[in-house]
Amino acid sequence: MSCSNLTMLVSSKPSISDASNLSFRSVLNPFQLLSQNSPSCSPSRSSVTPVQCGLRELRTRIESVKNTQKITEAMKLVAAAKVRRAQEAVVNGRPFSETLVEVLYNINEQLQTEDIDVPLTKVRPVKKVALVVCTGDRGLCGGFNNNIIKKAEKRIAELKDLGLDYTIISVGKKGNSYFLRRPYIPVDRFLEGGTLPTAKEAQAIADDAFSLFISEEVDKVELLYTKFVSLVKSDPVIHTLLPLSPKGEICDINGNCVDAADDEFFRLTTKEGKLTVERDSVRTKTEDYSPILEFEQDPVQILDALLPLYLNSQVLRALQESLASELAARMSAMSSATDNAVELKKNLSIIYNRERQAKITGEILEIVAGANALQ
Amino acid sequence: MTLNLCVLTPNRIVWDSEVKEIILSTNSGQIGVLPNHAPIATAVDIGILRIRLNDQWVTMALMGGFARIGNNKITILVNDAEKSSDIDPEEAKQTLEIAEANLS
Repeated sequence: MSCSNLTMLVSSKPSISDASNLSFRSVLNPFQLLSQNSPSCSPSRSSVTPVQCGLRELRTRIESVKNTQKITEAMKLVAAAKVRRAQEAVVNGRPFSETLVEVLYNINEQLQTEDIDVPLTKVRPVKKVALVVCTGDRGLCGGFNNNIIKKAEKRIAELKDLGLDYTIISVGKKGNSYFLRRPYIPVDRFLEGGTLPTAKEAQAIADDAFSLFISEEVDKVELLYTKFVSLVKSDPVIHTLLPLSPKGEICDINGNCVDAADDEFFRLTTKEGKLTVERDSVRTKTEDYSPILEFEQDPVQILDALLPLYLNSQVLRALQESLASELAARMSAMSSATDNAVELKKNLSIIYNRERQAKITGEILEIVAGANALQ
Repeated sequence: MTLNLCVLTPNRIVWDSEVKEIILSTNSGQIGVLPNHAPIATAVDIGILRIRLNDQWVTMALMGGFARIGNNKITILVNDAEKSSDIDPEEAKQTLEIAEANLS
């Protein structure tokens, strides 16, 4: 059987409800080559009405949909496994942040009476704002990257309305390519995220924000990342990174402050056989520490050492949440892609079988007619 | 009487066990901590932490942070820490050469 090379224009719709809506338009160039054996049905070339295509084409199409389904299913499972790893990373980082919060709390209690002046907590009149935008590295994750970029654009518009200057620190390949294509947005630095955010990457971002703030180039640093709410829902949020509040509170741009002792973390579990994510809120116990805790150095020096650590852990936390939401978005996008592939394959199979049966019926009719004619 | 030492980084817990003595390098010099040390809080400089377990010393590189010494309980919070056994001398030498070249 000679395989003719056919160029086929296929229109595939995202959701196919009725099999009769499925149609292919085929443009055959070497139609003359199909001389002696043409096992496939003869498609007519018509630009007005879309025509059903041949059996072989349907078969190849069904094969490719099956392969695509395998790939999307695999991607979903890989994303699910990575969410577990991301969750473990968050859990591993908890002892650090818990202890840090405890220490910060105690030191603040002891320094209530003293007048401390730490540069990182200095509140200045805001003239320029730095936005740290956390996006993902790869696509195929639904609306994840678009949501965070839209939020960034909205914030930029807000700042412009307020007459404030701004600069962007972009983290992640998707954000980088977006801002590279728009040279009218001032970008301070492009940073790449790794597969799993480590303290080193958080350090690089924190160092950049630190130097911009300390050198008084910017007066406020805001962190834009996606908060992981559930497997199907994630929220882009904006948190004020600098200036830090000495108590270690995490503040929203609207001024809603969350006490640093309240910690939320997510858990990937199964409920009724399906993967879900639950968020738990835990409050770290801040017990009264012995008041005779002596400071080896000046309290200002101690806070100088503590607050960058806190900054680092905040940035790392944001990166981890961002990664977890990206993975969850990829999971749900790939899951719906797999469902679509299954449905598409079913519809294609129905059409294929119908074609096949029609051809067989045609051949039988020919034979019967021929036999009748002979009598 | 032993000290309980906890070295924490944002990624993981590097060390969490009992030790006999530690030598920590802080902003104001090196301090040695024995059991029943007075409670202090100190900033930690980038330097080497020496840990003694039963007459044998283990060293660890710390990238700066904070240390709190309480009732025989030491908590060190650092940005990064590496045990000397995990460091490859060849790689470290190369990194040193690159860093020196960048400085000049």
